[in-house]
Amino acid sequence: MSAPVESSVGTVSLQERWGDRLNPLVVKEVRQGLRTRIFWASFGLNLIACVVLALVAFVQTRELSFSHHGQGYFFAFFICLAVAHYFVIPYGAYRSLAREREDDTWVLLVLTGLGPRRILRGKVASALVQAGLYASAVGPFLLFSYYLNGISLPSILTVLGLGGTWLVFLTVVAVCAATLAESRMGRAFMHFVVLGALGMAFSTALGVGGALSDSGSRLLSKYGVQLAMGVGLGVMVLDGWLLFEVAASRLSLSTEDYTKGPRRAVVAQMLVALLVGLGFWWYEDRKHVVTEIFSICGTVHLAFVGLFLVSDVDGQARALRAGTGPLSLFRPGALRGFRLTVLLFVAWAAVWGALALVSDDLNTNSEAMRMLMMVMPAYAVLYLSLALVLGRMPRSDRFSSPASVRLLFVAAVGVAAGLPPLLAELAGFDMGDPLLNLLNPVVGIANFGTHDYSTSEPEMTWPLATFVVGVALLLAFLADRALVEREKRAHPP
Amino acid sequence: MSPLLEVKGLRRDYGPLRAVDDVSFQLEPGSILGFIGPNGAGKSTTLRILATLDAPTSGEVLLGGHSLVDTPDRVRPLIGYMPDRYGTYDDVTVFEFLDFFARAYGLTGAKRRQRVESVMGFTGLVPLADRLTTALSKGMRQRVALGRTLLHDPSLLLLDEPADGLDPRARIELRELLRALADQGKAVIISSHILTELAEICDTCAIIEQGRLLATGKVEDILRQGTGVAAVELTVRLAAGAGLEAAWARAERLLLEQPRVSRVSREGDSLRVELELEAGGGAGQVDAAAAALLAVLVTAGLPVCFFGTRERNLEDAFMTVTKGRLA
Repeated sequence: MSAPVESSVGTVSLQERWGDRLNPLVVKEVRQGLRTRIFWASFGLNLIACVVLALVAFVQTRELSFSHHGQGYFFAFFICLAVAHYFVIPYGAYRSLAREREDDTWVLLVLTGLGPRRILRGKVASALVQAGLYASAVGPFLLFSYYLNGISLPSILTVLGLGGTWLVFLTVVAVCAATLAESRMGRAFMHFVVLGALGMAFSTALGVGGALSDSGSRLLSKYGVQLAMGVGLGVMVLDGWLLFEVAASRLSLSTEDYTKGPRRAVVAQMLVALLVGLGFWWYEDRKHVVTEIFSICGTVHLAFVGLFLVSDVDGQARALRAGTGPLSLFRPGALRGFRLTVLLFVAWAAVWGALALVSDDLNTNSEAMRMLMMVMPAYAVLYLSLALVLGRMPRSDRFSSPASVRLLFVAAVGVAAGLPPLLAELAGFDMGDPLLNLLNPVVGIANFGTHDYSTSEPEMTWPLATFVVGVALLLAFLADRALVEREKRAHPP
Repeated sequence: MSPLLEVKGLRRDYGPLRAVDDVSFQLEPGSILGFIGPNGAGKSTTLRILATLDAPTSGEVLLGGHSLVDTPDRVRPLIGYMPDRYGTYDDVTVFEFLDFFARAYGLTGAKRRQRVESVMGFTGLVPLADRLTTALSKGMRQRVALGRTLLHDPSLLLLDEPADGLDPRARIELRELLRALADQGKAVIISSHILTELAEICDTCAIIEQGRLLATGKVEDILRQGTGVAAVELTVRLAAGAGLEAAWARAERLLLEQPRVSRVSREGDSLRVELELEAGGGAGQVDAAAAALLAVLVTAGLPVCFFGTRERNLEDAFMTVTKGRLA
């Protein structure tokens, strides 16, 4: 037996040279995919269904001098494609990555130097290649429906454009879901969640596709529909990107800079939302209500995302420590995640607060809403900090894991939202009492946003808002110290 | 020869649990190290750290002079890691499987094809090139996994329980493959429970328990380690005949009277004699003591039909060193 020895290098075909440029996973997954029964069964059934529908359409319309059955047949062909695009393909992508993790082959992939991003891109790309094969089968029939009249080309293109984005988004979501569960029970649970979510996604696609093919031209001319489509597309692109980065982060090794991608995506999301908001605010004649909507939606989004940023593990691998400075907020570690989150909240509140001050079109509720815009981020920082203080300040590691910190946040918000109204009720006060509910993350926020028409004043006052901000800053300081202390322990000399 | 791998004071904590505690050892090119320990001893954690899949809490690992902790990306191409699960794909042939990983390692064109063919030739997979990996026996899948590990020509091979579940033939073939790789200059670390197997493959071994390295060194040194003396066991059998029981009793008594005999026990149709010799006395000391005992028995007229030494094996050394503690 002899060890492997290199022999001379032979010639390489053009096809092979092109193959070398492709992501290796695409080559492997497409080879694999084309061998599976599920692909050939669904592809064959799809094609047969389309051919049968086309024959029915031909028989139905051949005697007519002018038909307008296009929209009905377009929707029927779209259903055929939707089964594959919004269920079979994303589910296949989910299973493909889930099996890599179950069988531990993803570790082998990571060690090859491919990196989690290329692995995920390969997974998504190979799913899209298979989606392309389905589309190539159904595409001619969709075009055929246009010649049956009754549906406009813009409607067809809108459905296909939105449908394509929906397909990519669903595939990314499915791949991300495959990275979430670690245990066997978790994976089984996630499997059912994905199946349910894809069922809903399929129904949504049919609903939107049906509505657009039925009355596309009329709907597309409405400002509200255009706005909703724009928002939907924006959310799919930006959240799809964030989810992709989250999945890559979960597949990364602890020695890698696994937080850079997701944190960069969050900052980019907020910047894009800010720019869009600014543009919209200007386009809408600097209406105050635009600042309110963007401030509130952004804060809610940031609170959800921030929960994951702040609950990262303590410290980072030694390989990354050397290049980490005070401003390296994209580097791993709960400390930097927390600081980035607080910074984003402050920046978001400051920008929209400033824009609210220079806005026109003020109404009686505007001052209360400005107060709300200031305290909402404060509430978020307050409860995120509280969860960190409870979980990470003690020297014990009992509640310090990322999952524990997230649960503590939910528990703290739940208790703070439910307890004050209960106490008020027992003590004979009004359940929505402003002072008792001052730190209530639900009733308190609602109180700050309420205008008292009997006094023509906001229900809450600026000193109370300042108090909430002060408590949030104090807790943020405590959480920051706790995280600094834990990072020192996690980085032994 | 300068070491390829240097592990210094490696420690890995998972919360309050210390999985690896102050592990240090060295490995030279062309040598095979057996990593021995019970379940949960810290073998797989150590291998995962060496494979750059995990970061140590403290300590240093140098591979080819580069820090594995500070520059994992730089040393990763030097490492071939085979986990205890082989990891194969459905609906992929042996050739496609290896071709895929060769692409993933960045090999292109004819170089990739020839590397795959060369690895398949080395591991004896050429006749199975078009077979689906899922249709292979465990031994063959293990070869495919080993082939995958060799595709990028690593200097250090980390094999986690490679012989687990293999039939005797596959084990012997694996042993030959590993020996060939070591002859080529590759350093190999194998973790295993099957100690007798390791003794035959490894040049050096390390015994780990509860995260701590209890013994490390050449296999023959390890075999002598633990008691402070070289313990040798003799097996004596007497020929069947009249008065055999009386002969057994006499032999037992005679042997116990001899210097250096620490214990004599009856095991079926033979006597087991334990000798305590001076450490470092060498094989000559064992031979002299054995010859003296045989002479005593024969001179006493006992019908000795078998007399031989029973050498300590790695299992004995493992039990002595770990004192049978469970992790």
